[in-house]
Amino acid sequence: MVLVVKLELLFIELGVVFAWLWLKGNPLLKHIRNVRWAFADVVCDYMLGQSTCALYLSLRYHLLHPDYLYYRIRELPKSFKLRVVLCHVDVEDVVKPLLEVTKTALLHDCTLLCAWSLEECGRYLETIKVYENKPADIIQGQMDTDYLSRLNHALTTIRHVNKTDVVTLGSTFGTLSHIMDASMEDLARCPGIGERKVKRLYETFHEPFKRVV
Amino acid sequence: MVQFHEHIITELLEDPSGGLVVLSSGLGLHKLISSLLLLHHPSQGTLLLLSSSPSLKSSILSSLRQNQNPNTTGIPNLPSEITFDLPAYHRLSLYSSGAALFVTPRILIVDLLTSRLSPSSVAGIILLNAHSLSDTSTETLIVRILRSSSSSLYIRAFSDKPHAMVAGFAKPERILKCLYLRKLHLWPRFQVYVSQDLERNPPEVVDVRVPMSPCMRGIQKAVIEVMDACLKEMRMTNKVDVDDLTVENGLFKSFDEIVRRQLDPIWHTLGKKTKQLVSDLKTLRKLLDYLVRYDAVTYLKYLDSLRAAENFRSVWIFAESSYKIFEYAKKRVYHFGRLDGSKLIGKSKIVTTKKRRLDDRTVEKEDSLPTSSNSGVVLEEVLEEPPKWKVLREILEEIEEEREKRHLSMVEPVIEGEEDDNGIVLVACKDEFSCMQLEDCIIKGPHKAMREEWEKYLLSKIELHGLPKHNKKKAKDPKGFGILDGVIPKTPGQNAEASSISKQENDALLAAAAEVSKHNKKDTPVKDHPQPYIGNGGHAKGRGKGRKGKTSGSVPLSANKDDKSANEAAMNDKTEMVASENGGPRYETDPVVGDSDKVILQKHYHGVNAASSSNAKQLPPVHFYALESDQHILDILKPSSVIVYHPDIVFVREIEIYKAENPTKRLKVYFLFYEDSTEVQKFEASIRRENGAFESLIRQKSLMMIPVDQDGRCVGQSSSTDSEPIISRNSVTRKAGGRKEDDKEMQVIVDMREFMSSLPNVLHQRGIRIIPVTLEVGDYILSPLICVERKSIQDLFGSFASGRLYNQVETMVRYYRIPVLLIEFSQDKSFSFQSASDIGDDVSLNSIISKLSLLVLHFPRLRIVWSRSLFATAEVFASLKANQDEPDEAKAMRVGVPSEEGIVENDARAENYNTSAVEFLRRLPGVSDSNYRAIMDGCESLAELALLPLEKLAELMGSQKAAKTLREFLDAKYPTLL
Repeated sequence: MVLVVKLELLFIELGVVFAWLWLKGNPLLKHIRNVRWAFADVVCDYMLGQSTCALYLSLRYHLLHPDYLYYRIRELPKSFKLRVVLCHVDVEDVVKPLLEVTKTALLHDCTLLCAWSLEECGRYLETIKVYENKPADIIQGQMDTDYLSRLNHALTTIRHVNKTDVVTLGSTFGTLSHIMDASMEDLARCPGIGERKVKRLYETFHEPFKRVV
Repeated sequence: MVQFHEHIITELLEDPSGGLVVLSSGLGLHKLISSLLLLHHPSQGTLLLLSSSPSLKSSILSSLRQNQNPNTTGIPNLPSEITFDLPAYHRLSLYSSGAALFVTPRILIVDLLTSRLSPSSVAGIILLNAHSLSDTSTETLIVRILRSSSSSLYIRAFSDKPHAMVAGFAKPERILKCLYLRKLHLWPRFQVYVSQDLERNPPEVVDVRVPMSPCMRGIQKAVIEVMDACLKEMRMTNKVDVDDLTVENGLFKSFDEIVRRQLDPIWHTLGKKTKQLVSDLKTLRKLLDYLVRYDAVTYLKYLDSLRAAENFRSVWIFAESSYKIFEYAKKRVYHFGRLDGSKLIGKSKIVTTKKRRLDDRTVEKEDSLPTSSNSGVVLEEVLEEPPKWKVLREILEEIEEEREKRHLSMVEPVIEGEEDDNGIVLVACKDEFSCMQLEDCIIKGPHKAMREEWEKYLLSKIELHGLPKHNKKKAKDPKGFGILDGVIPKTPGQNAEASSISKQENDALLAAAAEVSKHNKKDTPVKDHPQPYIGNGGHAKGRGKGRKGKTSGSVPLSANKDDKSANEAAMNDKTEMVASENGGPRYETDPVVGDSDKVILQKHYHGVNAASSSNAKQLPPVHFYALESDQHILDILKPSSVIVYHPDIVFVREIEIYKAENPTKRLKVYFLFYEDSTEVQKFEASIRRENGAFESLIRQKSLMMIPVDQDGRCVGQSSSTDSEPIISRNSVTRKAGGRKEDDKEMQVIVDMREFMSSLPNVLHQRGIRIIPVTLEVGDYILSPLICVERKSIQDLFGSFASGRLYNQVETMVRYYRIPVLLIEFSQDKSFSFQSASDIGDDVSLNSIISKLSLLVLHFPRLRIVWSRSLFATAEVFASLKANQDEPDEAKAMRVGVPSEEGIVENDARAENYNTSAVEFLRRLPGVSDSNYRAIMDGCESLAELALLPLEKLAELMGSQKAAKTLREFLDAKYPTLL
């Protein structure tokens, strides 16, 4: 997999000044070191995957050309699921320009990421590329791996079920598979598990995953 | 009440809209407040006491109770406290009762906004801790709302921390403005009325300067040297304003604040070195403080644990002088040398009897433990007592003598009733620990108290056995730098020698410790003797804390000591209740205090007479009082002599007030200072600092610009009408000369829990209406489509780590079209996550960039708003709302809360999926993002899954290992509780 960079950015790489706005965009490429990248004729500045793309915007440039971002976003095809506006914060007084950028990005379905240096911008691009297919484990919180906390973790997803209930259920039925297979009456016989909880538990375990519409 | 209190109150009452009173600390703020409360009458409306600290609250209550007793007809009901557990209707009735109420700003603002409390029923507000106000705090919002609807309201703000009032630019002026007040009343200690009142009958003061022992002086000098070095190093970083960096300033806690305030905006750019310096300075300040507070053994113990904990990071430990700190500290406790005569005799003076005992002890040690001390080394206990102990004892004896004399001669019984002069001596020290120790020292005599500490020390050495060894190794490689990089004056050979010495030393210590613990075991039977117990519950409790983690035999009974009261403490731990009962005859409880619950912990009452059978001289009844506990004990105890063991300016003022209130009472005050110590410096500097603060306040008061229409009549309205046009002005000027459109008020629904932050206040300032409700999903609802989860920077890191953010975003995405994560930076800190140099070369899992990227990848619909400050956030909110409908309160509350059928409204997934089953499935071990869909395709429900055999699971999940994990988890036996 290769990170695809807009073709026009190539000209600067070759030393040809295409437009001065790319001058700002180009040094960024120096900081992309952990993934391979290549030039191609794409609409966005950086294509990070089949459905992911990024636009680079320097706040200083935005101050000079406030409309630029809007036109660039409008060009982007809807096929991209994740459209990142990578905003390089390179001015001192950020509040007003950032507000404008925020609003434009938000109302046109773009996700805004702010970075304070070219290194950081580059790192964002790299990371998004590298993590393309990564599961979200590390931001889902470290869970203890012992049996009890895993059991708690799973059972407490069911609304109204608390840790005490988990203990009750566990000690009554012995194993999780028995809990999952328990009948309504058996569930109701547990102390502290009221009608509401019984209903929710039973529904969770016995209703099909996919509802027939 | 002293006369100047009355002055304060009359002056304050002059202005019907109230005022801000700044008082020197210790001048009896609680008395002021309680007399203000007495003036309040329910018919005027409710009186709210805002943001009072717990200790102030309790002292207000207790002084109210005292005032109540003489004229019971007054019946001022004690103000009740409003808490969150109070049901809404109960709160409602309290609000309308017209009573005085303690309430926290967070509860009050919610009740105000939901109009559970109508502003017209409020007569006034008494605001405590005014120094912590800012224009974005919740208190300000409360005042603004109340002011805008009822102008007759009075606001009386108080602060007894003048130095906090001068922090920051024009702080008093801004506080006055945000409270809509015009009057600033300053009552420093040097104010004429105050000083007149307090100096009319000054207490008799004896200033005792105790010389420090040579070792203490050595340590102090060394610590200050290191501190100075740290400060110099800090100056070299060129990051901080040099003027404030003096050793004198360094003695105060607020020094950290000064440094932090300067460094916070650039904190992320600082190197590890500077950050370490800041924290080292803190440690050093503690060391100085503890030097005069702790005894030699405890100090050494503290140093030991410090060394164990800080080894790797801190720089000060490697400074040349800090070597001295450890040396001297050790010298105060024990002396270690070789038997072959190389040992030093020049110890600090020890009493002769002590010496003899020591010798006995060493001999005995060698006899009993020849194996461990075979290398001819000897461990000699020095156990230097804090010099103040002896002086304290002498003072107590002197007091008693005087009392005896007075009793005998009966010269002046006429003026003061004999019951008035109860002869109680109050010893005030900094903390509970010193209280207990001093008490031990008085009862058992200083030697014994020291010995106990020493034995505890040795025992803890056993526990730590093994740990010190690898610490020692680490300590060898010098890590300091600059001035702090001390020269270690040893050649490698010597080094090895030194380490072998330290090894021997360690062994010897351990041997001694082992002996002590053996001793304990031997002595346990002796404990069965009926022993006299000291103290009451509180005392025993404190003690228990001190000896936690030790076996019950932690207090050894040395064979050669026939004194009885050695090991009752250990018993006390176990039988607190019994102890307080058994102690009856000898240690009667204080009659004044017995019935009031609030001061029990501070009572260390006992008749020393009985306990000091071994001491020839009689001692008066002594109370020990910990200044930290913040109780106003003087009024309750009515002591006739006070010994200020650790000088503290607030307590000095309290004594003065007490004396002024009881001018006829004889009161003698002894101050115990260590001569030429930082203790004195600190005390004097604190006076200077307060005076300086007041001078600056007086100057500021004369220059203050307060608008005349501070009545608040129009202010609340005007602030909202002021700000609204600003939003629309730009867009509207073209249309018909900026004619106003329909005056539509913007609304934002805010989660109750968000009132901890200042954002609701800022939004309100902007003229946005705030509707507080309890939200299941999100923090702010801007429109039916936009839901915002606000995260401050620390919050962001925290909730990434805990996984909370992921879940929150997940639910937001489920229920709202435009879910927004608001990342809010703090105004006075830098606007960035990290410095460029911290980014590193590789994509790493732990960096915030990676986490954000992952979040964004998993929730492509999530929008992120980066806000520079609270104010910028308000701006963003307003502009996001510009073209949107107003949010619906009832709907917002229902979002995410399942109805009774279990189906969540608006949940697109819920129609097709059994969401809780899917959620449950995904949390089972072995199930991952990649295989859970396949499982759902392959089996109907969880119940079916539970019965699937391993082979089938493996087939579904596409992996034998994952299937096995899942099957094992499902069939694992639940561990029973027994």
